[in-house]
Amino acid sequence: MAVKIRLRRMGKKKAPFYRIVVADSRSPRDGRCIEEIGTYDPNQNPSAYQVDEELAKKWLANGAQPTETVNRIFKNAGIVK
Amino acid sequence: MIFRSVKKKYLTLLFVFCIVVKVIVMEEKIRQGYLYDFYGELLNDHQRSIFEAYVLEDLSLAEVAEAQGISRQGVHDLIRRCTKTLEDYESRLHLIDKFMHIRDKVDEIRTLTQQDVTDASMSKIESIASEILEEL
Repeated sequence: MAVKIRLRRMGKKKAPFYRIVVADSRSPRDGRCIEEIGTYDPNQNPSAYQVDEELAKKWLANGAQPTETVNRIFKNAGIVK
Repeated sequence: MIFRSVKKKYLTLLFVFCIVVKVIVMEEKIRQGYLYDFYGELLNDHQRSIFEAYVLEDLSLAEVAEAQGISRQGVHDLIRRCTKTLEDYESRLHLIDKFMHIRDKVDEIRTLTQQDVTDASMSKIESIASEILEEL
């Protein structure tokens, strides 16, 4: 069973705001997520992100796959190299 | 000695380049999100559902492909084609561009109103307001 770490777009139209969530890759559309581990706000300049580092590391260690976009946020946050 | 300074210069350049690339790449899905907000209605249902899954829900190409029962390559092409179409609309209509400018200016006004009222801040607000009207 593959677990993914991806962005989920919340916010309103024209005012994007993302949550970083851990979700099962087999149930992508039903919106269920296992855990929320952070947020990403591209409205601010520079974009603001907030990540629960401990949870992120825990999920990565358990083999959760971050999407490219999330991986870049993690890199910026210094969680992965 | 000369060699070293040249090398240093190149490294700095490379470093700056990396940062710029990073920022541009970082913006990609966000940019596509904005394009979808403004022009998404102009895509047909099939395109829209795939674009939504990829951009708004951050699914991978392979995941979208599996959910839609088409090939990964097909999804990739469709996303690229859609992005190009939407960027084309933007290059003609500039709705996103205008929206961003006006939003930044309104933001500026809001910051000014949070400070003490002075003649200077009032005239600044007035000039920003006229700029916004100009842009509309």
